[in-house]
Amino acid sequence: MPYIPNSPSQIKEMLRACGVKSPADFYSDLPEEIRIKDDLDIPAGISEQQLKRKLLALSDKNRPLDKFNSFLGAGCYDHYIPAALSFIISQPEFSTAYTPYQAECSQGALQAIYEYQSYICRLTGMDVSNASLLDGGSALAEAVLMSARLNRRNTVIISEALNPEYKEVLKTYLKGHDLKTYEVQVSGEGKTDLSMFLNACDKDTSCLVFQSPNFFGVVENLIEIKKLFKDESVLKIMVTNPLSLAVFKEPSSFGFDIVCGDGQPLGGGLRLGGACFGFLAAKKEYLRQVPGRIVGKTLDSHGNVAYCLTLQAREQHIRREKARSNICSNQSLNALASAVYLSLLGRKGLREVALTSMSNAHYLRQGLSRIRGIKLTFSPLIFNEFVWFTDNAPQVLNELYKKGIIAGYYIGKHFNKYNGGVLSCCTEKKTKEEINDFINSLAEVLHGEKAYIR
Amino acid sequence: MACLKFTKSHEWVRVEEGLVTIGISEYAQRQLGDVVFVELPSKGAKVSKGSQIGTIESTKTASEVYTPLSGEVVEVNEDLVNNPQWVNESPLEKGWMIKLKAEDSSELDELMEESQYKAFVEEESH
Amino acid sequence: MERKLIFDKDRGCRNSSYITPSLDIKPEEIFGGDMLREDLSLPDISESEVVRHYMQLARLNFSVDTNFYPLGSCTMKYNPKINEYLSGLEGFSRIHPLQREDDLQGALELMYEFQNLLCALTGMKAFAFQPSSGAQGELTGILMVRSFHEINGSKKSKVIVPDSAHGTNPATATMCGYETVVIESRDGLVDIHQLEKSFDEDVAALMLTNPNTLGLFEKDILKISRIVHERGGLLYYDGANFNPLMGIAKPALMGFDIIHLNLHKTFSTPHGCGGPGAGIVGAVEPLEEFLPLPRIKKRNKTFYLDYGSEKSLGSPRTFFGNFDVLVKAYAYILRLGREGLKRAAQNSVLNANYIKKKLEKYYQPAYSKQCMHEVVFSCSEQKKRGASALDIAKRLIDYRIHPPTMYFPLIVKEALMVEPTETENKEMLDYFIRAMIKIDEDTEKNPQKLKSSPHKAAVGRVDETRAARMPVLAHTGCGKHKKSQKT
Repeated sequence: MPYIPNSPSQIKEMLRACGVKSPADFYSDLPEEIRIKDDLDIPAGISEQQLKRKLLALSDKNRPLDKFNSFLGAGCYDHYIPAALSFIISQPEFSTAYTPYQAECSQGALQAIYEYQSYICRLTGMDVSNASLLDGGSALAEAVLMSARLNRRNTVIISEALNPEYKEVLKTYLKGHDLKTYEVQVSGEGKTDLSMFLNACDKDTSCLVFQSPNFFGVVENLIEIKKLFKDESVLKIMVTNPLSLAVFKEPSSFGFDIVCGDGQPLGGGLRLGGACFGFLAAKKEYLRQVPGRIVGKTLDSHGNVAYCLTLQAREQHIRREKARSNICSNQSLNALASAVYLSLLGRKGLREVALTSMSNAHYLRQGLSRIRGIKLTFSPLIFNEFVWFTDNAPQVLNELYKKGIIAGYYIGKHFNKYNGGVLSCCTEKKTKEEINDFINSLAEVLHGEKAYIR
Repeated sequence: MACLKFTKSHEWVRVEEGLVTIGISEYAQRQLGDVVFVELPSKGAKVSKGSQIGTIESTKTASEVYTPLSGEVVEVNEDLVNNPQWVNESPLEKGWMIKLKAEDSSELDELMEESQYKAFVEEESH
Repeated sequence: MERKLIFDKDRGCRNSSYITPSLDIKPEEIFGGDMLREDLSLPDISESEVVRHYMQLARLNFSVDTNFYPLGSCTMKYNPKINEYLSGLEGFSRIHPLQREDDLQGALELMYEFQNLLCALTGMKAFAFQPSSGAQGELTGILMVRSFHEINGSKKSKVIVPDSAHGTNPATATMCGYETVVIESRDGLVDIHQLEKSFDEDVAALMLTNPNTLGLFEKDILKISRIVHERGGLLYYDGANFNPLMGIAKPALMGFDIIHLNLHKTFSTPHGCGGPGAGIVGAVEPLEEFLPLPRIKKRNKTFYLDYGSEKSLGSPRTFFGNFDVLVKAYAYILRLGREGLKRAAQNSVLNANYIKKKLEKYYQPAYSKQCMHEVVFSCSEQKKRGASALDIAKRLIDYRIHPPTMYFPLIVKEALMVEPTETENKEMLDYFIRAMIKIDEDTEKNPQKLKSSPHKAAVGRVDETRAARMPVLAHTGCGKHKKSQKT
């Protein structure tokens, strides 16, 4: 049998030692009615060779992004991942360990997580970070719940320009809580309408949620946010793409109390959206309300520096029904991958990736602006993605697809009023040729014009 | 002469000069293990008998502290917040938590004397 | 020698780049200077030094691939390497969640087929794959319970959990807006009498782990199920301990309505120092429509995403969950097949009982009954001799064995919870048994040696009290680019 190392004779010997005849004897407490007889509808086992053939066939039915000229982003970004990253995180001591409960034999994981927390603090400018959460959506939900615990108020105001996937997760997480959510619309240029936001605030407001760059790719007016929302009893939460923080000022400098988001852009890969993790960083006065694992620095019995999980009295295994959250497992290896990514790239490398992505996106936007019928009504203050409008957007996307181009994400799916909108993203992986190909092909689809830009 | 009384939830109470000081017992601190964090109410808070006045966290557990008396919190041991180990080192002296102006001193009668408490603890630990 | 942090290795320069930059943009021309970052305090280190840094860290860690790891309730079984390879195939790893359905047919088919296998194993009607940890599975499941009662017009306020339950159960109940009612165990099992007494019309569900955290099978499960259902409640299955029942019994036949399975435990996917895992959720027929969306359906020969059900509780997570974990778990089931799964279950039980039998003279089992896949010992006797469960656990590290789960379940004093899993051989179990016996001897002969252990680990006993009293949670200085920051 695969993965069962004991030989039949060893098994016999062990059964004898246990005083039973067959393994079935261990199951005498199971009522007859619940047992599987001979009716288990699962195929017989297969060899590794057969398994490989079967899954290769399945994987061949997918069309990986590399087969296209793709401009998909919308919360999952295709950045270049250095080969050394996968080498490092496939080390068995990282990939096959459990949560580092036993500090003395988990120093590697603990130090790596401590370094991860330090990295998140540096990027965001916040004082404390946890060891990761499950994804950007649940990180936001946890941040909102954290606010409600801190000020015991019951209204959450969110921007319309929040990633719709995050809104959905937030809505789900809030089902068991007496918290109301108000959504404030964006202005004509795809930015959160701050005056409407201000109007929505009242004495019941627990927290304000902004995303910047927002779902439409637009960088919000953070300076204005800092000026307008001075009431310190209302918590300000910022959802962000951590890569953008290589270019933009740390959110702490704009007065945010909690910064969260998805760490996928930092070396996460695609994996159908699975290679993500949530990060959450906060001001230190909120430390006791931060959910999830946290690693701290301490000393060992010889007085040497050592690391361990700490402040565990916040967590479910100790505080049970009074815990800050039920979170237990997080996305540790993905968080670790992001720390490795930041280490490999360094200050210069990260900035280079961020700026190149940004340059490419601006270049594409400019190119599209020269095509008749393409409307760029949203703000040009973008990072790595932006929305463009056209009539019959789904049809246009389809025509481009036939030319091997995935032009972006059709936002009409989530926003009725933007039914001509497409969100296109550029990472550093896009070449000038690929971008030109998109621009030219779009011109051709719309107007039958030939080569437009070279 | 100050008199020391105890609750079934292992708080101690000392009445002195009209004020009631509250902390947790020697037995309680031993059960908790190394105390790492203490949360106290704010000065001026009105509390009622049986309500929570604080939280004590150790590395192993977290536990609530309740007041056996109703009244107003007139003083809190601010230094304790930065020195949670005092709960272990000196639960009855440096580890005091709050001082209360009690509303109804008859509530004191429901508490145990030291000898009764000792017997109670003896029984509970078996 | 003090280990350096990555930040201490900053050389302030680097000569290479991973990408071909096209830096023709001047951010300051687009954004005002007030928006832009002046100093990004990350270290610049060469690739070779980064690799060495992490290799050195890795070697300080125990893991399933390098050590026996009998961490109770965590099912630290061997993680087959073929599954890592398969999940890394381009067709699985290089797909974007927002691609068209026709470009993702392989992924959708995989999830659809995986669902069928899981339904066969558990008797559920359908599964949702988004929940990315056991706790998120619980959250999903109990929110489904909530939606179910709401739609049926009955407002309920309580969830019952046994006192042996994982901490996630009561924490989940709170997150779903329920009050937790704890019922005491009797002989390590649910006390039927107490359950009957506590289960009033206000109770929404009973959350149960079976076999429970004491490693015991709840033999009265059918009676329990009857009580719960007669009173209008639902029965939730915490699948943390499903390993011994794979291919042997179905939760649906036990009466469970909603279940979660931990793919990173039972179905062999690696745990990565704490995730990514998956806590996928299944439901029986009347509750199927409350599952998260989208669901994966099949029409003719095509697979598609169905956003149809209005009763769905929504989405607990973005996109499709931890897809690569799903690929690995699916491959695991295919490889083992019906006979292999059953054998794995049986051998996990055999290994645990073997340890129990060989150690029961030395360590008091919490309950004398035969156990399932894990066994809980109480080290109260050893504690009297001067070494606690903690000391024993730490001493095991010197034997290169990862300690068992300690001080859990809470109802057993000085508990050590041992789960060997089926992928360990007899030689390793015997080695563990000998180590435990030697340690027991030492509780008498040399308790000090245990109290000061570990002696051969990367560090001595770590001062967790200090860590919690004076939290230092991030490195603030940064080599040459030090930025003064108060902690």
